[in-house]
Amino acid sequence: MASSDKEPGSTPLGGGGEGEGPTPPGQLTTMGSKLLDKGAKMLQSMKPVKQVQQHACSFALYAHDHTRQIETHLYISRLNQDFLQCPIYDSDDPLARLIGVEYIVAENIFETLPPEEQKLWHSHAYEIKSGLWVHPRVAEMIVKPELKWLAKTYGKFWCTWQVDRGDRVPLGTPALMMSPQGINAGQVRPDLLKSRDDKYKMYSSEELKESRLEIEEPEWLNPNADYWKQHGKGFALDVLEMDMKCMRVNLLPPVPESL
Amino acid sequence: MASSHVEVPGEATETGTAVVETATGIIQSFAPINQIHQHLCAFHFYADDMTRQVEAHHYCAHLNEEVRQCLIFDSSKADAKLIGVEYIISPMLFLALPEEEKPLWHSHEYEVKSGVLFMPDLPLSVQRMDLEKVVKTYGKTFHFWQVDRGDALPLGLPSIMMALTRDGQLYDHLAKDVENRFDISFEKERENRAYMSGPEHGIHPLANGAGKGLKLELRDIDLPQSNSFPRIFV
Repeated sequence: MASSDKEPGSTPLGGGGEGEGPTPPGQLTTMGSKLLDKGAKMLQSMKPVKQVQQHACSFALYAHDHTRQIETHLYISRLNQDFLQCPIYDSDDPLARLIGVEYIVAENIFETLPPEEQKLWHSHAYEIKSGLWVHPRVAEMIVKPELKWLAKTYGKFWCTWQVDRGDRVPLGTPALMMSPQGINAGQVRPDLLKSRDDKYKMYSSEELKESRLEIEEPEWLNPNADYWKQHGKGFALDVLEMDMKCMRVNLLPPVPESL
Repeated sequence: MASSHVEVPGEATETGTAVVETATGIIQSFAPINQIHQHLCAFHFYADDMTRQVEAHHYCAHLNEEVRQCLIFDSSKADAKLIGVEYIISPMLFLALPEEEKPLWHSHEYEVKSGVLFMPDLPLSVQRMDLEKVVKTYGKTFHFWQVDRGDALPLGLPSIMMALTRDGQLYDHLAKDVENRFDISFEKERENRAYMSGPEHGIHPLANGAGKGLKLELRDIDLPQSNSFPRIFV
């Protein structure tokens, strides 16, 4: 069955499939659908999604293969001072693909997690200090306090659509992601970084690194986070088949009406 | 019971933080989020355990006429927890999926026709215009936060989720709670939606877990040497 680190089975919808590029196949959204959408949006309260207050752009690596690196766009909602929840998209376009979800917690919350859980999380200090993480179109000065807070947080990011391998629809299981780090394969490829910096024409990562020298590193990074750094291990997910646990009533087949 | 009443640990948002977020909220654009145009309420159960059922609030955007992507929250309130994602595709696209992929997807026919899937605050006749399409689609849902077992944080591995496929699966108390809170009658909507038809070629036998329970498991992988700290010995 499917695994997060295995290529999907043969399909025109997968990486390297025939037909044109990575956008999901299918007719463009019809006028009828658009009108329905507009109507819905006017009448329905969309409270949970209205809580998004920040857009951040950074990079992530697949936990099972650090050579695969992606640019990420986080749309961040805060539940309280110490907890953020972020849908992640592959660009800031209106038709960007939803590629996963990241949760971000302050270090004191992280320390309450059991070790087995901590292994699934990554630190943010390097991303922040090296200028990889930016808030597009906002002056550094405004977000400095937030960056100082973020530098001491941990994140957990599940990727649900591996667009970088050409999947035209989401295939397979979620993949665990890790954050860039300053060593070896944890470093972001220069071409990816340049492409991002050119797009936003803001400060380059070099300039940001300078400006962020004053941001405090966490006093201590939990060794269970960024698990690969000290243990050389990545993680993948597999699907297991089993008997489904059902309600008792469902164990009996329905009686056909004709009887 | 609706959403989990367990509070997420953490201090109340500080003024300084709120000030920064007000600024970013005004200056930045959130284009992908602004595409989200539709709120849909339904139920999911864990793909390995139908006895665990969750009220799921979907906030959906069209990527095109055949693909939608949805954020799933545990309620429709401002403090709702983001618990998962769902992707929705047309039957044509479903048929093109690899065979091993199809079981991860679930059909929507029963949920729509039975009335339990609905769009809060939209006139029923308007809802039906879109549901005529949704009824034929397949969805793929992962949850990351097991609020139904009282988790205060998104712990553990993702869960593959499935959708209702026939009568007798959904707990009465969950159904009644939603009907009361949203002032809707599933039974009445079932009558109104009797004219709708599911996927043209019927529900694919490999969908809905292909009749089996599904669960995700973590596997360790040894990464290439260069990924870890340089060893002392060569």
